[in-house]
Formats: sequence, structure tokens, C-alpha cells
Amino acid sequence: MKGATIPVTEPGAQAGRAAADIGAHPRQRRDRRAAFVFLAPFMLLLIVFQYVPLAVMARNSVLDYTLLNPSDWSFVGLRNFEDMIAYDDALTSFGATFLFAFGVVLLVVPLALALALFLNSKLPARGLVRAIVMLPVVTSAVVVATIWSFLLDPSNGLVNGALAGAGLPRQPFLTSVDQALPAIVAMMAWQQVGFGAILFLGGLQGVPAELSEAARIDGATRLQVLRNITIPLLTRTTLFVVVIMTVFSLQAFAPAFLMTMGGPQESTNLIVYHIYRTAFVMQQPGYASALSVVLLLIVLAISLAQMHLLRARWNY
Amino acid sequence: MARSPLARIAALSAILVIIAVVFLAPYAWIVSSSFKNQFTLFGDVSPLSWRAFVPIGGTLENYVSLIGRTNILRALMNTALVSAAQVALTLILCAMAAYALTRIRFPGANLVFVLILLTFLMPIEALMVPLYQVVSGLGLANTLTGVLIPWIASPFGLFLLRQAFEELPRELEDAARIDGAGHATIFLRIILPNMKVPLLTLGLVTFLFSWNSFLWPLVIVQTPDQQLIQVAIAQQGSPTQLPNWGETFAGATVATVPLIIVFLLLQRYFTQGMTMSGIKG
Repeated sequence: MKGATIPVTEPGAQAGRAAADIGAHPRQRRDRRAAFVFLAPFMLLLIVFQYVPLAVMARNSVLDYTLLNPSDWSFVGLRNFEDMIAYDDALTSFGATFLFAFGVVLLVVPLALALALFLNSKLPARGLVRAIVMLPVVTSAVVVATIWSFLLDPSNGLVNGALAGAGLPRQPFLTSVDQALPAIVAMMAWQQVGFGAILFLGGLQGVPAELSEAARIDGATRLQVLRNITIPLLTRTTLFVVVIMTVFSLQAFAPAFLMTMGGPQESTNLIVYHIYRTAFVMQQPGYASALSVVLLLIVLAISLAQMHLLRARWNY
Repeated sequence: MARSPLARIAALSAILVIIAVVFLAPYAWIVSSSFKNQFTLFGDVSPLSWRAFVPIGGTLENYVSLIGRTNILRALMNTALVSAAQVALTLILCAMAAYALTRIRFPGANLVFVLILLTFLMPIEALMVPLYQVVSGLGLANTLTGVLIPWIASPFGLFLLRQAFEELPRELEDAARIDGAGHATIFLRIILPNMKVPLLTLGLVTFLFSWNSFLWPLVIVQTPDQQLIQVAIAQQGSPTQLPNWGETFAGATVATVPLIIVFLLLQRYFTQGMTMSGIKG
């Protein structure tokens, strides 16, 4: 079988040869030239704007310098990483970010599943409801953060207006150490729950209807079907939603930048905001790069798991 | 246990009302309030009345002062330009690369694929500091080109199109190949015309990404003339004065409405694209 019938056009056969082009079939030579022309612009930009920055980041993480005068740098070895351990800013920031991500996942997964189940049932104006829950997803993080900072305004916000109308005490929300992080978690969940629901809807399409119908005929209640058939069959989708929401949360920036400036008492100092402030405001891009390296490794680990899930997801 | 159809309808309606209130009320409030002066705006919220969601006694005052006082129109124009260019260039570059990876056999294809696959996993947020140095090193800081150029070689776009290109049967191009057509002809005459839906999907997701992007434009542009809409509305409240709520709401409305119109018109493709874009944030 192996290469017996068409050895000349087998791409692997020529791959290792040094002067491959000379002995190549004209067709192969043309293919190579075309492949180069079609790929060159993409690859060039990819290298300049992804691989070069990656290398620059690795280099910067062992340097001390300022963005105002980048050529004046000094080598500090692993001190930037040691500083992350010695001072508690990195720990606090990563801690707040993980809490944020954890809260978002905890809120989004059940709500999105419930929403998807609802949207999957016989419903008037289903398309309209879908569009409504997707609105926050397409709205920019800046606008969502702006809307929410006014919704949650302690004196004139809509939420406090509603609380007062219901005879409940007004809440400080973003200015309170206890409430600021939960408030931005709620905001993120509000924005992303429609996205989660769409992913779950896709997963529900893969659940064979005969299974639940058969169970229903055998006398299972709706809840039993949900618990014993639908949810187990949605495991893969659920994992996928968890991973996506985690990665989204780790990359959140606008809430901290626009609503809380990381406060009160660093309780919402999300890591991307901390990196931004360290590099561009405090002028310590070396230290910011070290923080970025750690963030990159964390997201990379999660993304690798995600790729793995994705492969499983797309193969059936 | 069986509930009466009436109870079912009542439960359904209750859920629908809750969904509508939770997701639409903030928008209704923002848009209505953008037409109100500060006094009416606050009066309608505390105590809360239904007037908060309806622009009664509407005025264009906020919009007029926003346009007069800030560079918001300029920022809108810049954003439209950047988004259009980014969509066009992303489609061209990704389609070409996807063609090479699905339709041409060449040595090194695996290496190229692995190189692309790796960048697919990198969060752009983590790269912003070195990217800033690279882009400003190329003399592209404070330019609209600098805003869009890092993103047009989009690994996500490539993957989306590659998936679609692979599903296109090879028989389509076989006849043309026998007739001696080259890769350029096959790409332009056969592949692209058959790939309108995936291209539209990628175009929309790119538009959404470009229109809504904030962190990168904030970092790379300092010149007011080159500012983009998300940065403009994030920064329009001056720190020295009390925020003018009506103006801020007008800004949010202006920045959001164009995208929402596009979304409502082309919802299906948007949803499709975003489900796939979940692959990369």
C-alpha cells in the first residue's frame, strides 16, 4: 500500500531532500510556489505579532526598564518572579481573578443550562428570546461596564431604586469590599449567560430525543429525565462552557478599569488590569512581563485542556 | 401531576417576562435616559417609576453636547474605518492561508500548522506589553494601522475557514484542474464563490471583535484624533467634573446601536460564528 501507486506526488517523499526543488516534478514546484504565496502574508504577520512579542515578553521578564526609555535596561535575572512571591500584589490579584472566574462559572453554568432547556422547549417567539439573551453578548465590555456602574450607583442607580421601592435598604455595591467582586461577577454572568445558553443549546441538539421520550413513556418524571439522561449527556458541553467562561474571566479588563480601579482594597484588582497598571502607569514593564508569563502559562494550560475537549466535541 | 394548559401558559409568560426585564430593562433605561436631563433622569429612578424606561419629554441635548464637547464622531468614523479594513484584510489573509492548508500539498505543511495551532492558545491580553513595544517599534503607535494590524492574521479565522474549506468536495475543482487552471483561478473562481456563508460568519465575528475592542486601542493610541469609540466613551467623563449621566448614556447608545442593528439583521450567522469563536476568546 505504502506509496506504491503514486510515489511522485506523495509530499512526504520529497520533504527531507536538500535541493528538493531541482528534482521536483513541475506540478510540485508550482504547488510549492503557490503554497508560499498563499501563506506568506499570514505567516509573516503571525510571526511579527505573535511570536516576536512572545520572545520579547520572555526577554522582558528578566529585565528592569521603563517604557519611556526601553533601551536603558538592566538584567535582573529571576528577581521579577521572586518579587511576585515576596510582595503580595501578584497573589492578591491572581486570587481576586480566580475568585471572579469561579463566581462567574458558578453562576453561568446552571443559569445557562436552565435558559437553554427553556429555549429548547416549545415556545412562542423563541427566536426573539434568543436574540434578547444574546444582546449583552454582542454589547462591548465597555458599554456593559458603563451600564452596570450606573445600575449599581449607590445613590441614584436603578437597582437601588428598585430596592428602595421594595422597602429594602440601599446597598453600596462597588464601593464595598464585600460587594464589589460579587457585583462584577453578576455583571459578567449577565453578559455571558446568553453565550453559555447558545453553547448548551448546541449540546442539547446532540441529545437523542428518543432516549428521553422512551424514559417518559416508562414513567420517568421530567426532573428524572433531566437528571439521569440530559445532564449526563451534556457533560462535554458543560466542561466546554466551564473552560470558556474561565478563560473569558481570566482575560477580563473593563470591569476593573472602568468600575472599580481594582478597589476597594484590591478586591477587584483583576490580573489583566494589574498588568496594564504595572506596565503603563507604574512603568515597570519588566515586572508586568513576569506577571504576563504566569498568566500566559495558566491560560495555556486551560486552553490545552480546551483543545482536548474540543477535539472530542467535534468528532462525533 | 399534570398541570392545566392555563397554568403552563402562566408559568411560561412569567419566565418570559423575567427574561425580558433582566436583559432589556438596562438597555431601555440607558437609551431613554440618554434623552433626559440630569434632573428628570434622577427623578424617574428614585422613587423608581415606569417613566425611567420611557423617554418622556425627550431632548437631544445630551447628544448635542456630547458631539460638541468630545471627539466622539471622529472616534466613530475611525472605528468604522478600522472595522471595515480589519474585516476585509482578515477575510483575505485567512482565506488564502486556509486555501494553502486545505488544497495544496507542500512540504512543511505540518510545521506551519503547528506554528498556527500554538498561537491559537495564547491570550492576547497577556501579550499586550511586548506587542506594544513591537508595534510602536515599527512606528505604528498612534495609527489606525497599528490598531488593526496585529489581529488580521487571525488563527481563529483560519481555523473557521479551514474547517469549511475541507468540507468542500474536491470534485468541484477537478475539472478546472484538468483544464489547466492554476491555484489563483481555483481559489478565486471556485473556492471563494462557494464559501460565502463561512466568509460572512467570519466577517461578522471579526466586525464584532474589532468594533468592541478596548484594551489594545487604549494601549496603542494616545492621540485624540486616532481614538476609537470604546476608548472614547470609556474616557469621556472628565475626572475633574461630576459625570453627566445623560451624556454618558448617549455615548453608550451611540457606541452600541450600530452593532445591535447588524446583529439583529444577521443574527443567525453571528450566533454560528460566536459558537465557534468560543474556541478563542
